Amino acid sequence: MDDLNPLAGTAHLLEEVDKKLMVLLRDGRTLIGYLRSVDQFANLVLQRTIERIHVGNEYGDIPRGVFIIRGENVVLLGEIDRDKEQKLPLKEISVDEILDAQRREQEQRQEKHRLVSKALKERGLAVNAELINEDFC
Amino acid sequence: MLPLSLLKTAQSHPMLVELKNGETYNGHLVSCDSWMNINLRDVICTSKDGDRFWRMPECYIRGSTIKYLRIPDEVIDMVKEDAQAKSRNRGEMNKNRGGNSQQNQNQRAVRSGNRNNFNNRGGQGGGPGLGNGGMRTGGSGQGNRLLAQNNKNRK
Repeated sequence: MDDLNPLAGTAHLLEEVDKKLMVLLRDGRTLIGYLRSVDQFANLVLQRTIERIHVGNEYGDIPRGVFIIRGENVVLLGEIDRDKEQKLPLKEISVDEILDAQRREQEQRQEKHRLVSKALKERGLAVNAELINEDFC
Repeated sequence: MLPLSLLKTAQSHPMLVELKNGETYNGHLVSCDSWMNINLRDVICTSKDGDRFWRMPECYIRGSTIKYLRIPDEVIDMVKEDAQAKSRNRGEMNKNRGGNSQQNQNQRAVRSGNRNNFNNRGGQGGGPGLGNGGMRTGGSGQGNRLLAQNNKNRK
C-alpha cells in the first residue's frame, strides 16, 4: 500500500463507497443497496436498497429506498459479486409468497420453542423467554 | 456527504425511524443533532409486531435507540445538487483569486523586497532603494537607516 496514505493499515469502508453491498443487521435482516456514504461510527447511507428475505433456498426482495443505518446495528457488510449474482443457487419468489413463507417459519420456530420450554419446565428448569433472542435461534 | 449531513438535509421531509426494539415512528423530521437525537412531528408509532398504533403530535427520539432511518429518495438528489453548487462556487472563488494580475504583481514585489531586507541585515548596506517593503527610498544612507528601523520593529 501507498505509505503516504494516512489510512494505510487501518480498517475502513471508503473503498466500498458506491459499490453494491449486502448489509447484515443485528436483528438478522439483510439489506442490499449502493453504499453512498460512511462516517467514523460506520453509520451508512444505502441507496436503492432492497430487503432480501431468505427462507430455505427461496428468497424475496422488497424495495425499500434510501436508508441511514446507525453503525452499531451492523454485523457485517460485503460487496455483491455481479457475476455470481446472476447464477444464485436460490429461487426468487414474489414478496407475498416470501412473507408467507417467513410467517410459517416463524410459527414453526415458536411452536418448537414452546415445546422446549414445556419440556424444560417439566424437568424443573425455567427459561426466561425474554432473554433469548429468537432471531438467532 | 456524511450520513448525519444527509439527515440534516432531510429536515421537514417525512421519514420512518425504526428503533432497536423494533418500534417504528413515521413522521416529519423537525430537527436533529450530531448524536442523531431527533424531533419528529405528526408521528404515528407502530409496535414491533405491527398491530398496534399510536398517534402523537410530536416526539423526541434519543439517537442511541435508533436502528435505522428511511428517508425519501429525492433527499439524496438534493444533497448532490448542493454539493455541485458548492464546488461551482469554490471554482469561481479560485478564478477570482488568480484574476487581478496587477495586484498580484504588487504583492510579489512587496514580498521580494522583504526578502532583500532580510539578506541585508548583516550590515554592508545594500544598494539604493533595495528592500524596505517595496517602498521607494531616497539615498542609500536613508535606505539603510529605514532598514535598521524595520529590523528593530520586527523584533
